[in-house]
Amino acid sequence: MNSATATAELRRPTDWKGSAMQNRIRRRYAAERRFKLLGLLSILVSAAFLAFLLVTMIGNGARGFTQTEIRLPVDFPRSSLMLDPAALAGFGADAALAGADIEGTTAAAADAAFGAGGARLLSDGAWLSVRDAIKRDPAILRGKAEIWVPAATAIDLAAKGNAAPAAEAAYGKLQKADVVRTGFNWTFLTRADSTDPTLVGIWGALKGSLVTMFVTLVLAFPVGVFAALYLEEYAPRNRWTDLIEVSINNLAAVPSIIFGLLGLAVFLNFMHLPRSAPLVGGLTLALMTMPVIVIAGRNAIKAVPPSIRDAALGIGASRVQVVFHHVLPLALPGILTGTIIGMARALGETAPLLMIGMRAFLASPPGGIMDPATVLPVQIFLWSDEVSRGFVEKTSAAIIVLLVFLLAMNGVAIYLRNRFERRW
Amino acid sequence: MAKLHYLIGMAALALAGCQGQDGGDAGGAARDQIRAVGSSTVYPFTTAVAEQFPRKFPSFKAPIVESTGTGAGLKQFCAGVGAQFPDIANASRRIKKSELDDCVKNGVSELVEIQIGIDGIALGESKAGAEMALTEEDIYKALAANPYGKPNTAKTWKDVNPALPAIAIKVFGPPPTSGTRDAFAELILEKGCDANAEMKALKTTDKDRHQAVCTKIREDGAYVESGENDNLIVQKLVANPDALGVFGYSFLEENLDKVRGVKLQGVAPTYDTIASYEYPGARPLFIYVKSAHLKAIPGLKEFVAEYAGAWDPDSGYLKRRGLIAAPADVRAKNLDIATKLTPMDPATVN
Repeated sequence: MNSATATAELRRPTDWKGSAMQNRIRRRYAAERRFKLLGLLSILVSAAFLAFLLVTMIGNGARGFTQTEIRLPVDFPRSSLMLDPAALAGFGADAALAGADIEGTTAAAADAAFGAGGARLLSDGAWLSVRDAIKRDPAILRGKAEIWVPAATAIDLAAKGNAAPAAEAAYGKLQKADVVRTGFNWTFLTRADSTDPTLVGIWGALKGSLVTMFVTLVLAFPVGVFAALYLEEYAPRNRWTDLIEVSINNLAAVPSIIFGLLGLAVFLNFMHLPRSAPLVGGLTLALMTMPVIVIAGRNAIKAVPPSIRDAALGIGASRVQVVFHHVLPLALPGILTGTIIGMARALGETAPLLMIGMRAFLASPPGGIMDPATVLPVQIFLWSDEVSRGFVEKTSAAIIVLLVFLLAMNGVAIYLRNRFERRW
Repeated sequence: MAKLHYLIGMAALALAGCQGQDGGDAGGAARDQIRAVGSSTVYPFTTAVAEQFPRKFPSFKAPIVESTGTGAGLKQFCAGVGAQFPDIANASRRIKKSELDDCVKNGVSELVEIQIGIDGIALGESKAGAEMALTEEDIYKALAANPYGKPNTAKTWKDVNPALPAIAIKVFGPPPTSGTRDAFAELILEKGCDANAEMKALKTTDKDRHQAVCTKIREDGAYVESGENDNLIVQKLVANPDALGVFGYSFLEENLDKVRGVKLQGVAPTYDTIASYEYPGARPLFIYVKSAHLKAIPGLKEFVAEYAGAWDPDSGYLKRRGLIAAPADVRAKNLDIATKLTPMDPATVN
């Protein structure tokens, strides 16, 4: 009797309209909504951080890409400059230019044009623009010329509305005379480091980063991919492979400064490779990137369905053919994603590069992998510590360049992934 | 598939390429670029000269200047003679006896010591601050971990000196790894400490104890270590009008619209007071050049000569970068050393 009632109770159809059931359903929906909201909130928080970063960086940095210039009239025949245009035509022009007092001439011309103290309105490197103008066209030495030269940092900041009142007034005067313009700063994209914010460029560091990344990629990618292939496709499962696997996973988590010390001890002190060279930087960063590629590569290879291997082996393909014709092309999107993640980390790395001397002041971009170089994050670090106020916006501008570089790298990764991706 | 082969082929080629270059001029071969390492305080001056150098001498490449800190720089500099070791060490203090011994041990027996100018360690506050005027003793009592051997209980400047306002003690300054911190301890704290006769006596009887009592800075939040970045300290001062900051004089000069110098012993930090050593936080800056490299590295002699021309307060460009010129007699003496490249006398170092 008892058991019969119990069964009847169990079999009673669910009363969806009953208050108890309605309550439960409401609670379930509420939980669902809460979960959704939480997810949305996390996305919003990260988006807000990103937006804050980008807005402050672009807000500060956009100004770093512009440069104020002053039109400087120079009366060459009446100046103290002793230069024969004919001497600048052929060989030895550089020596002739170096021997001439262009700096003094420029300062004198500025004083003549803008009154006493006029030279202070120009950048310390203004005479370089004059020199370049003479080099381009020695004929200007025969007469009066008007040359656009970079303005001093104070004037530059005043033009961008961020300076002391004195500079503001000087800028106002220049504006009235219509001898000043603010335009895109090509210098910034084409030159290397300088001690004067009006003359600095990011190209040296950018090229250093490119060369270093190239060395890293060329070393870490093949080694990482082959290690992953061997571990997945050939290695027997035993204690040794376990040990290797654990070591590689550990290596991926080692703090980067330790790789820097390793690089210092092995590549510089033992192998005597040149200090500050992108080769050494690339080698050090490759050590750091390689484990990431191995781990990503192994996962990608593992994800290739065994049926594809079996089918290929079944129709008589050799192991190498299976790997290179089927497994690798299918795993490539995953491997590339892992590679880009590793490379992005390497691109932003500063600590190990400080140890091997890639934090030097370099006035010219590196010519190759053996030349001293610096990289973007180190350049940002160096500029943030500069005395002159003009460097603040240059630091932000350098960060923008770094972010664009990163974006480009990720773009390439997405493109490659979509190209190679196959669905089954 | 062909793409993949192409990719691998390219990688292999590139690898072979760099191996080819490896063999080229690795390590020991001659270098055609000057290399300088050392102090971050001297860095802006050496880089300014390094930048100017190839413009005046187009046949030489621009020197490489690395900012490692004085101690680390001298260690590298003293590691030996040869192309893989730097030619110049920038130092924000004089070389120590131990460092010189290290140099000699590694075969770097002759050094040319050149004083390039003076740097001031300035105490600054926000323009909105309370216009403090302090003495070395006040600073020592406010910041030492154990002033005169007793635990530091001072919370406000008034606790230190009744004449001062009742503002909480908060000083932003460099961390212990910085040369500026060493100089701050030596030039200001130690002097404030020695104002006490007992402490002065301690110096002769127990040097280590004297060092600990006089230069150890409190760690209870009154002194905030703000990293090596002086720009950051300036920013913090603007945000905290009641706080003081310890930084290089050139940063004070560059940001005079935001911060002002704090008077020490009644002397404000200005170009003239630091140049005359009237302001307590003045210290000499040096570069050290290896005599053995003078012939081997092209342009090194010319570079030193260019440096000597640059520090002149009237005709040189280093003054505009914030360098304070040494007194005329010191300048003349060092100009002589820089032209004749006279090695320093190791006996004068302690």
